[in-house]
Amino acid sequence: MEKNRAAQKTCFLFFALLLIGLMLGNGASVQASDGKGGTYSFPEMAGWQQSGEIQTFSPGNLYDYIDGAADLYLKYDFQELRVADYINDRKASVTIEIYRHKTPVHAFGMYSQERLNNANYLEVGAQGYSEKGVLNFLVADYYVKMSCVDIGPEEQKVLLAFANKVVENLGGKGSLPSILSSFPREGEWTNTEKFIAREFLGYSFFHSAFTADYELSGKKFKLFVIEGADSNDCRNMIQTYLKQTGNLPPKLEEGRFQLKDPYHGAMDFYWKGNHIWGALDLADESLRSKVLNLFAEGLEKKK
Amino acid sequence: MADKGMDRRDFMKSTAAGFGGFVFLSANEKKPEEVTGETQKKRKFLYRTLGKTGIKLPAINMGVMNSSNPGLVRAALNAGMVLLDTAATYQRGTNETMIGEVIKERPRDSYVIATKAHPPENRSTGLYTKEATEEDYQKRIDTSLKNLGLDYVDIYHHHGVSVRESALYEPVMMALEKAKKAGKIRFIGITTHKNEPEVIQAAIDAKIYDVVQTTYNFKQKHQAEVKEAIAKAAAAGMGVVVMKAMGGVQLQERAEKPVEPVPALKWVLQDPNVHTVVAGFTTFDQMNLDLSVMEDPVLTTSEKAQLQWAALQPGLYCQGCGQCLQQCRRKLPIPDLMRAYMYIYGYRNLSHSQDLLLSLNLPPQVCGDCEECPVKCSIGFDVSRKIRDVVRLRDVPAEFIA
Repeated sequence: MEKNRAAQKTCFLFFALLLIGLMLGNGASVQASDGKGGTYSFPEMAGWQQSGEIQTFSPGNLYDYIDGAADLYLKYDFQELRVADYINDRKASVTIEIYRHKTPVHAFGMYSQERLNNANYLEVGAQGYSEKGVLNFLVADYYVKMSCVDIGPEEQKVLLAFANKVVENLGGKGSLPSILSSFPREGEWTNTEKFIAREFLGYSFFHSAFTADYELSGKKFKLFVIEGADSNDCRNMIQTYLKQTGNLPPKLEEGRFQLKDPYHGAMDFYWKGNHIWGALDLADESLRSKVLNLFAEGLEKKK
Repeated sequence: MADKGMDRRDFMKSTAAGFGGFVFLSANEKKPEEVTGETQKKRKFLYRTLGKTGIKLPAINMGVMNSSNPGLVRAALNAGMVLLDTAATYQRGTNETMIGEVIKERPRDSYVIATKAHPPENRSTGLYTKEATEEDYQKRIDTSLKNLGLDYVDIYHHHGVSVRESALYEPVMMALEKAKKAGKIRFIGITTHKNEPEVIQAAIDAKIYDVVQTTYNFKQKHQAEVKEAIAKAAAAGMGVVVMKAMGGVQLQERAEKPVEPVPALKWVLQDPNVHTVVAGFTTFDQMNLDLSVMEDPVLTTSEKAQLQWAALQPGLYCQGCGQCLQQCRRKLPIPDLMRAYMYIYGYRNLSHSQDLLLSLNLPPQVCGDCEECPVKCSIGFDVSRKIRDVVRLRDVPAEFIA
């Protein structure tokens, strides 16, 4: 018994040291993995056979698959792409591309960059849509893009059947980022919400933001919210921004900020806690106040 | 952690990016036809003429692919950039739509639009599939025009060509020539990110292409061959546009020592056959840096030193060239093993790395029984050391990792 315990202890120490050695070998700290990568399988479908090997692409060679479009995927913390091709007896084909991103928010971000708000939206995964020969959807940290050739009138039915199996294999449908529910509903164009992963508004100090498009009283504008790690994170962002635009007050406190941005014109935003929310391209001040107050209520409700 | 396994001399010998190919323009070298123009803000930028198209462009313009920010595109045009480079595939067409919103406020002759599409292809051969018809390509051109809200684009590129046969593919060339005749496109272009010298030569031979857009940077392995191909294209009257002058996001952000944009851009511009560079900036600060390069494109001594140092750094990521597969006596799947290494040291994802290692069915003894490793990695990785390091993870019980 004692011997076993000692052996276990030695074993534990050995592996712990090995892991630390592996990680510190590159100057990195030991961190738990997300434990998800690559454990899913591609679906099996009656009447369809996988054609060729499953192809795998990493950030190092994504260019080989999607050329210059790869850069944006890398900015959305792309981790891995696996691609499977299927064919049937009539030589019709289906291609499934599963892009894994670092987090579900990053996967949503990339998905949101590519979706069109007037597409045919479907109940698949957290959200999906179809166009001719295409069905794209989101599941947790996976962005799945499917396309087909020569299927004929059944194409949407076939793609949807594949999609539902992919969702199942990826472990369930997942959900859209919860902060989207804070955006005011009035005047919002559906399915225009986006996640900008970094450098929001073209400023490196604004790390990321969610945006959505609106039209109210004949005026088109955008609302945005930045979710900071904490209040200090937001303070730092605002401090840099106000300093850069020459608007830094002697004492910086939570509240409303209105200023002229050299690149974006009139800026109107609030800071409270770990949120900064505001309006872009909306000259009408009373309308701005109204929508920003509605936004504040939405953020309050989310807490 | 930088790889020290291949020494400096070996690395330079093994790549065209050794200093044999790593050229700095001497003061006496012939300069391209260039002028210094004044923008509305009275900044003096370097301008060059895009070959036989006759279009005068600032030496650096905007590659819009990474930005969905109309404010940034407006700022680039306001600051004096002229060419906006996009593609039907960037954000599935929404990049073109966003540009369309910006340019509709401006006179048509105040900007130049280049967009592109590639026909359906077999990804492993680079050859086109039966779906790549003339009609299909015409539809792609029409879709871009619709997205951009334009009657014509200035340059339409046959995009992402990687083999000679595709550059000369009749149905696409027919579609492009017909679109040009119909006034939908002013000039025909071709882009290439892979096997560039072969594609550029094919584009010259095809005689229908007015512009070539190619990857070209100081880190490129076959930089000397690309330089030569660019020179031939320019001599044939083609306009030469360079992309990925900084190596793309891969080298700018994910390398152990990111590439500095200013010297990298200046390095490209010292080639007299490069007419303009499309830079994929995403912030105003980056844009301003790029603008400053056009005001003073001469490499300083310290910038040259930075580039020489950076050219020798192998980075963290295997480029997947596959040369090692033939060299390894044990036929190890080296690119996959390098990927497993990247998962640990790039992403700190032990579980993913272990999954991959276990799926490779490696022999129990890996990289321990060769007296000397015959593998000469094309980007200078010490392959056997990395492999010996990473395979240790196979032996760690899953519960220690998850």
